[in-house]
Amino acid sequence: MENSTDDYKIQSLDVDAQKILKTALKDPSAVNLEKVSNIIVDQSLKDQVFSKEAGRICYTIVTAEAKQRTGLVFRKNLLNRLQQEFNDREETRARSLHAWTCFVTFICNIFDYLKVNDMPMVVLVHPVFDCLMRLGQPDALMNEEEVDCLVLQLHRIGEQLEKMNSQRMDELFFLLRDGFLLQDGLTSMARLLLLEILEFRAGGWMLSGTAHKYYYSEIAD
Amino acid sequence: MSDWTKDRRHSTEQDRRSNGPSRWSNCRKRGVDGSLRAGGGERENNNRHPDERSSSFTTPESTGPVSRCSMASDWGSLVQEDEDIRRDVQRDMQRYRRRILGTEVAQRERKTSSGSSGSHDSKDEDNIETDEAVLLRRQKQINYGKNTLAYDRYIKEVPKHLRQPGVHPKTPNKFKKYSRRSWDQQIKLWKVKLHAWDPPAGEDQEETQDHEEQLELGDVMDIELDFPTLLPPCAAHSLSVQGEDEDFSGTPVKLQKTEDVEPGMF
Repeated sequence: MENSTDDYKIQSLDVDAQKILKTALKDPSAVNLEKVSNIIVDQSLKDQVFSKEAGRICYTIVTAEAKQRTGLVFRKNLLNRLQQEFNDREETRARSLHAWTCFVTFICNIFDYLKVNDMPMVVLVHPVFDCLMRLGQPDALMNEEEVDCLVLQLHRIGEQLEKMNSQRMDELFFLLRDGFLLQDGLTSMARLLLLEILEFRAGGWMLSGTAHKYYYSEIAD
Repeated sequence: MSDWTKDRRHSTEQDRRSNGPSRWSNCRKRGVDGSLRAGGGERENNNRHPDERSSSFTTPESTGPVSRCSMASDWGSLVQEDEDIRRDVQRDMQRYRRRILGTEVAQRERKTSSGSSGSHDSKDEDNIETDEAVLLRRQKQINYGKNTLAYDRYIKEVPKHLRQPGVHPKTPNKFKKYSRRSWDQQIKLWKVKLHAWDPPAGEDQEETQDHEEQLELGDVMDIELDFPTLLPPCAAHSLSVQGEDEDFSGTPVKLQKTEDVEPGMF
C-alpha cells in the first residue's frame, strides 16, 4: 500500500499539496475536499503529465469517499470546478494554448475514469464533444499542439464517446475530414495525425497491422 | 473559422439529402457508380455558403439535454441526481419483479386448484419495461409530478386506502410496456388530475415541509396498488430502510407549478 501513492505522479506539486493529496487518497474525510479538488484542477491546468494522471487520482479519492459513506463531496466539488473551467475555456485558450490543451486532457481523463454505475457521466458527454469540436476548428488545426491533443483524446475515449452520442462523433469527423482535405497551411505532421485518427475510427477504433506499421515504424523510407 | 461547418452541424436530415451527403464530395470527378460527373472539375473555396443560412440559425453550444430536465444546473448535482435516480430505478425494478413473480406464483396455484389451464409464466415478464433509458426518462417525469405542492397536499388529504380508481390521480406504472405516446398521455392526465390539489393562492408554504418521507414511500406504494396481494414481509421491511442516504440526494425545492420546469418534456 505504501507504494500506491508514490505510483501517482504528484512529485511536481509543492510539499504541502502533496501531503494533502496523499491524505485524501487514503482518508478523504480527514481533509478539506474542496481544497483537494482545487489543487488537482489547478495543477492539471499547468502540468500535462499531471492532467493525464488526474483521472486515476480522482477515481481513487471518489472510491475512498464512497467507502466512508459520508457523501460524495469531492466529486461534487471537482465537477463544479470543472464546469467553471469549461465555461471559461475560450478565455483559457486565448490566454495559453498550453493551459487549454491541459484542460481538455484533464476533462477527457475524468470522463474516462470517473463512472456512475459503470457508465460514463452523461453530463460530461456534450462538454467533452464541445472541447473536441473546438480543437477541430480550422484555427486550432493550425497548432500542432492542439491537433496532437485532439487525436490523443480520441485514441483514448473515442470509442466510449461514440457510444454515448454517435451523431456528435459524426459531426466531429465531418469537421476533421474537411480539415484534412481542404485546409491550407496545415503542417504535414498535423495532416498525418488527422489521417491516422480518420483511419483509426474507420477501422472500428483500432489500426490495422499495416496501418500501424505505416504510422509507427521507425524505418519508414 | 468558417461558418459553414457550424451550419452543417445543425443542418437537418432534409438539408443533407438535398445537398448530397457532403458538399465537398461534389468535388469528386467520379460519382459512387464510377461514372464521370458532368461538371466535376476543381471548385473554388468560395462556394462555402450554398444554403445561405444566417448565422442566427445556429444554436449556442449547450451542456446537453440533461440540464433541461433537471432543476439543478451544476455538474456535481446533475451527476448525483443521475446516480440516485438510476439506483432508485434499479431498486424499484428488483422489487417489482419480485412482486410480480410472487403474485404469479400465487395465481398459478389458485388456477391449478380450480382446474383452469393456461401457463403464461413469461407473459408478465414480457410486459415489463426493462430498457433503463426508458425507465429513467419515465422516473424523471414522475418526479416532476410528485415534486409539487399539489402532490404533497393530495397524499396528505387522501389516504391511500380511500383513493378510488378513476376518481383520484394514480401514478402511471413505469414498469409496464407502453408506447411513448400512451405513456406521455398518462403522465399528462395524471398531472391534470393532481392540479385539483393545487394550494389556494396565498397559503402558507411551510406546512408541506414534513412530508418528504411520505412522498418517498408513496413512490413504491403506488406500484403495489396494481397487485392485489402478498407483499412478503421481507419486502415490506426493506421499505423502512431506504432513507439512509437521502441526506445528499439533493431533493430540489418544492415548486408550486409544474409547467415552468419542464420545457423539455413534450
